[in-house]
Amino acid sequence: MLKVMIVDDSLIIRKKIKKILEKLGHEVVFSATNGQEAIDGYKDNKPDLVTMDITMPDMDGITAVKHIIKDDVDAKIIMVTSHGQEDMVIKSIQAGAVGYMLKPITDDKMAQAIGEVFIEYAVAADDDELDDLLDDEL
Amino acid sequence: MILDSLILQTKLFLQEDMDIEVGDTSIQEVDSDHLSLKQHTSMIGVGGKLNLMAVISFDDKLLNELVTLFMDGEEVEEDEADEVRESVSGEVINTILGLALPTFPNRGKGVTITPPITINDSTTLKKHKNSKILSANIVTNYGDLSISAIGEEIK
Repeated sequence: MLKVMIVDDSLIIRKKIKKILEKLGHEVVFSATNGQEAIDGYKDNKPDLVTMDITMPDMDGITAVKHIIKDDVDAKIIMVTSHGQEDMVIKSIQAGAVGYMLKPITDDKMAQAIGEVFIEYAVAADDDELDDLLDDEL
Repeated sequence: MILDSLILQTKLFLQEDMDIEVGDTSIQEVDSDHLSLKQHTSMIGVGGKLNLMAVISFDDKLLNELVTLFMDGEEVEEDEADEVRESVSGEVINTILGLALPTFPNRGKGVTITPPITINDSTTLKKHKNSKILSANIVTNYGDLSISAIGEEIK
């Protein structure tokens, strides 16, 4: 089970991500609505994973990533973004984020994004792929 | 071109993501210096290589239906109801604009976007004197929405 911090200025997105994370068996330890809250929340809660929105008031997600990484180089931050912000995603990765998800967020997208960062949660692409692997073995 | 992209993405969002039937669409260049709004409105500023405001405005019943869909049918706590509604309104324009951006001039490269701002129960939005307002009204079986682009170089 991962301890996760959600960072998004949209209440509906925070609710949605929380629901998905809990369905996947993870615990949401803190929710922040802007970059500054994210920085403070990270220090207080030391989450295993952060989901971070890019466009937020007061302090955006990229700036928050830079600050969090500066304090903890091992921080695992996945950006959550809309289409049309690909340039921002690249900047986020350059700042230290380890991955990204495009909205709308689904259970599968979240599971895949987490699996790419935490190998113990990696998922097979689908059952057919797993079946093919098993057939080859047999 | 910009409004056409916004209209297309709005319709696709309603029909394909929300399974809401879409009816007639009427487009107009607004002659007056203000845009008439419905009950719930969200807007996003686009800056950088483009300079415009994308505005979406919902009838009450339509936004309530979108809230139900976003919440997957879960009940909304009364003390959160307003914030959830505003949040959904903002997410819708955010999603639509994000999908429309690659079809904007220069494929939307070099633009910045603001977080959405939501206003309720306002009847009009006044434009800067040199700005143009292009607006479309889209009919659905839950009520109407309008999607508008405001700026000096809107086509």
